[in-house]
Amino acid sequence: MTQDRLDAISVGIMWDRLVAVSDEIVSTLVRTSFSTIVSESYDLTVALLDADGQLMAQGTYSVPVFMGTAPATLQHMLDVFPSSSLHPGDVVITNDPWLGTGHTFDINVMRPIFYGGRIVAYVISITHLPDIGGLGFGAAAREIYHEGLRLPICKLFEADQQNDFIIELVRTNVRAPDQVIGDLMANVTATKAGEAMLTDFLTEYGLEDFTALSGEIRDRSETATRARIAEMADGIYKNQIQIEGVDGPLTLACSIEIAGDAISVDFAGTDACVRRGINVPFCYTRAMVLYSMKCLTVPELPNNGGSVVPITVTAPTGCLLDAQPPFPTGARHMIGHFVSPLVFGALAEAVPDSIQADCGMLDLMTFQGTHRDGHDVSTIYFASGGFGALAGMDGAETTPGPSNMAVVPVEVWETLTSTTIEHKALLPNSGGLGEFRGGLGQEVVIRNDSGHLMTVFCMANRTEFPPLGLMGGGPGRAREHRVNDVTVDPKGHYELAPGDRITMIEAGGGGFGDPRNRARAAIDTDLAEGFTTSDGGSGT
Amino acid sequence: MPYPTGYRLGIDIGGTFTDFALYDELGESFAIHKQLTTPDDPARAVLEGTTALLDQQGLDLSSVVEIVHGTTLVTNAVIERKGAVTGMLTTRGFRDILDMRQEKRYDVFDLRLVFPDPLVPRRRRAEVNERVHYDGTIEHALDMVGARAVLADLVARENITSLAICLLHGYANPAHERALGEMAADAFPDLTISLSSEVCPEWREYERFTTTCINAFTQPMFDQYLRRLEHGLTEQGFAGQLFVMSSSGGTLTPETARKFPVRVIESGPAAGAQMSAFHGRALNRPELLSFDMGGTTAKGALIRGGEAIKVYFQEVARVHDFKAGSGLPVKSPVIDMIEIGAGGGSIATLDVRGTISVGPQSAGADPGPACYGQGGKAATLTDANVVLGYLDPNFFLGGAMALDVEAAERVIETQIATPLKLPLARAAWGIHEIVDEDVARAFRIHASERGFDYRGSSMVAFGGSGPVHAMGVARKLGIPRVIFPVAAGVMSALGLLASPLTFEVARTKQAFVADLSMENFSSILAELEAEARAPLQDADTDLSIVRRLDMRYNGQGHEIEVTLPPGPETGIAALPDIFREHYAAIHGAALLDTPLVITTWKVEATANAPELTTAGPEAQGAATPKGSRQAYFDEGYVTTPVYDRYNLAVGTVIEGPALIEERESTVIIGPGEKVDVDEFGNLVAELEGAP
Repeated sequence: MTQDRLDAISVGIMWDRLVAVSDEIVSTLVRTSFSTIVSESYDLTVALLDADGQLMAQGTYSVPVFMGTAPATLQHMLDVFPSSSLHPGDVVITNDPWLGTGHTFDINVMRPIFYGGRIVAYVISITHLPDIGGLGFGAAAREIYHEGLRLPICKLFEADQQNDFIIELVRTNVRAPDQVIGDLMANVTATKAGEAMLTDFLTEYGLEDFTALSGEIRDRSETATRARIAEMADGIYKNQIQIEGVDGPLTLACSIEIAGDAISVDFAGTDACVRRGINVPFCYTRAMVLYSMKCLTVPELPNNGGSVVPITVTAPTGCLLDAQPPFPTGARHMIGHFVSPLVFGALAEAVPDSIQADCGMLDLMTFQGTHRDGHDVSTIYFASGGFGALAGMDGAETTPGPSNMAVVPVEVWETLTSTTIEHKALLPNSGGLGEFRGGLGQEVVIRNDSGHLMTVFCMANRTEFPPLGLMGGGPGRAREHRVNDVTVDPKGHYELAPGDRITMIEAGGGGFGDPRNRARAAIDTDLAEGFTTSDGGSGT
Repeated sequence: MPYPTGYRLGIDIGGTFTDFALYDELGESFAIHKQLTTPDDPARAVLEGTTALLDQQGLDLSSVVEIVHGTTLVTNAVIERKGAVTGMLTTRGFRDILDMRQEKRYDVFDLRLVFPDPLVPRRRRAEVNERVHYDGTIEHALDMVGARAVLADLVARENITSLAICLLHGYANPAHERALGEMAADAFPDLTISLSSEVCPEWREYERFTTTCINAFTQPMFDQYLRRLEHGLTEQGFAGQLFVMSSSGGTLTPETARKFPVRVIESGPAAGAQMSAFHGRALNRPELLSFDMGGTTAKGALIRGGEAIKVYFQEVARVHDFKAGSGLPVKSPVIDMIEIGAGGGSIATLDVRGTISVGPQSAGADPGPACYGQGGKAATLTDANVVLGYLDPNFFLGGAMALDVEAAERVIETQIATPLKLPLARAAWGIHEIVDEDVARAFRIHASERGFDYRGSSMVAFGGSGPVHAMGVARKLGIPRVIFPVAAGVMSALGLLASPLTFEVARTKQAFVADLSMENFSSILAELEAEARAPLQDADTDLSIVRRLDMRYNGQGHEIEVTLPPGPETGIAALPDIFREHYAAIHGAALLDTPLVITTWKVEATANAPELTTAGPEAQGAATPKGSRQAYFDEGYVTTPVYDRYNLAVGTVIEGPALIEERESTVIIGPGEKVDVDEFGNLVAELEGAP
């Protein structure tokens, strides 16, 4: 097949194949990573970029925060190591929040791919490392310098020769060094696998490089995205929400302009950075916008550089959503995840049939202590609130959004920690009322049966500002943490003595549409199953 | 003697046809038969077809010593939600586990994703006061009085006829589940009862509870069906032994199948994969990809060292476009299958990218592809294969159904070719090729996730559409050899006859290797071995035992399965090396000095596999085409000879391009490729550039 034969058939076949290549690299990464956040929560991505640094394909499974970051990261890397200075077997890395993906935990690993003596592509693999030193994963830092090792752009391998100094530097600065180095090397192995797959691809299809194919893929994606945007009503849509900061409420604001087949999103009016690790570098803000827009435009379209062209994102320098050094960013998801409901809320009028009411979101709680059998315990418990309702659909119970981390099963959790989960139950009536109700939240009670002191670190949101409904739908129940039945600061950390209990009450999702329009059958089913109770209000 | 000599009959109920394969051990020959499935009363087709086949052969049922039966009844009951009114008893505080699922989205971009409703709705679940810890110790004793009251309420209020008993950590200490089971059986003798500690003694409560509920939901129906079948067969004079095929590729006694219908859930496809493994062993090709493509889906399995790879997890009844994560999880031993929403009836559409997508929507059998002439308006894969000349419109199903070529051309022209401004033939080829790519992609990912290097392996292709697409898929994967087995149309029915009697048990019991004593290690395995042997006691004394462990580095998210060397004793000292060897095979390297943990212990007992040898075809002489037609190869139509597969003698070599037709399918051999007829009558194609 020759390059002038890139008709719809050829493009479709080769496009699918490129996505398959990225997925196959992801599977290598998942199998070889130690971090459970990688292997069970897919906090990772793999990006394939062409010789011009344009994104051709990205692994299908990854968390939203990696959308669109790889091309910018690659550009930063090429600024330091121009393509003419790269050799086969080079591997370039960085974990700088402003050059990569927003916090020091994510390692970005890039390998240039050579074919016929020149660079034809770049493979970038990103995973969340088990540790990076500093204060550990959380919001506690006051400056970026508290957040561990920050590696500038550097070559981990030069022509297949490992730079032992960098390995030793990382090893010296982190907890669990074997696991961290293991995960770093999993990325190196994955990009190496990608090299073989991409060169085989060119050989099989008789191509010299990816330029023409990449152009076709991106053009078609851009066209598809623009077509959907063009269906949205033109106008300027604004939204402003309050969320919980560490020392008081924070305001996030956005203004979205839909003009023809393009969208621009600006965050003017958003509060300034705070001296806690919840500030959001712009790369992350932009990724969350791109993710939200993809959900609203062409969710089925594979990720690539084309679909983001019609979407412009800006934010005032130094605001929470464009944090600058030395503000810390470790738990940037705590603020960054709200970009999605902020944008959805703004666009409710423009695309009422696609939009989702607020989700109860995810609650992460870190447990550190000693197992009854003497082994160290350091692990995260995830519990989800309810999913926001949509036009025509109730929100699913206990389903996370916009992030997506699976719960650790009760039986696995108890075995790993020797704590006891006294109950884990849905909270009836916790979903927002509406023609379509929000998904239910839950209550989880964990008792420290380890026989040792156990410390829990909380980072909860939605405790003061519950998930909002849309188009007349009601709010979900707010989140709450209790220690021994006393409500506590949802962002504090607590020492649980043996026998102490911590209770996580997870928020319900927001409702959609006027509750008076809820179908009788839906009301009856909820009552019969006990998802709502007659005294708790069911829209009747 | 476990397998008495005589006639053995394999019967596989599929969605459209019930297939029969009658094997004569003395004559080393077999006869086959197909009968339309009777969904209202599946036993009817089984009984009628059995009679018809035996009549054809001039035999009666008393000469059949063994019947092996595979069926999709259990899966269908779950998909169609046609099972017993099922209740569930669980630990106080955990009634909602089924509604909470894994608290994960299987697609982060699709806000309208759909999750399956639990098989047992919340109102039919009740909590009992009791609590067992992860180590099996009991915190709260079982409140039997309270439990009896809530069960009585479920029976009276909801009229449940089947009960799932699912207690937290039931795998670690089944005492409370057993006591509840005895109470329930005693108080409500008509209830069918499933214990999670028997159905699936593994950790992860959502998966175990769901598996147990599926078992409870399907048990009364399956029991009734087996009873009707056994009665019908006995009435017709059958005095041999009936076996039921399991999803893991082994057979079960009817008693075991009745108790654990969840183990029968994918038995038909499992039998197909077993037959592929059988061919692989016979041909000394131990590394295989088994590729089965029918009307709505394609199924794949990997064969390693002559045995189909097994896992302890599958998903059934997916509710959202075949998407992984949209179904109900089942934890039971099963052949590790890929399911792809692509088959002959799959519909081709223009997607948002302006390229072609095929499936997972299917035109099914009714109205079916446009070329069936039954009013189908969608462009399907079969329509494309007709336009490309790969399928003969006058010899579809051996000529039983004439195909409407113009209708096929029309739908592809209007729906694909015209909008894309492409010639008709290229549009049709695009549909064909996209399906090859989809199948190849699924195999690639599946193999990569399992560390299986397929590049030196062979493919076994069967099903109505498998032989049409096998060479294209093999070329994309770089597989050097494709085997088109004899009697591919009844592959699963034959596979039933090649499957050994087997039973396996798996139990979660977490242990750090460093903390285990040899006595402890051996006694856990010995206990499981006794459980695995028990259901097979009567059938055979000569059992082989395989022991496997799920292990991981402490802190790592994924377990890997390691197989212990055969023999009664494997020292704990050898475990780290055994683990490293398995780990390296999957991951390449990355070896760490981190403590090793065993999570789940598995023991499988297997009887000897039955013999299944067949004489080769009787045809003699050089191959003569029965005709020729225009078929699309290398971007143009070429005149291509057409052969009748049944007239090819052993040793025949056919050079491509060629079309080789049998009743149920057509083998497509491209230019530059060639195919041999081997001593058994299989067609074996070597691909260009093969090693």
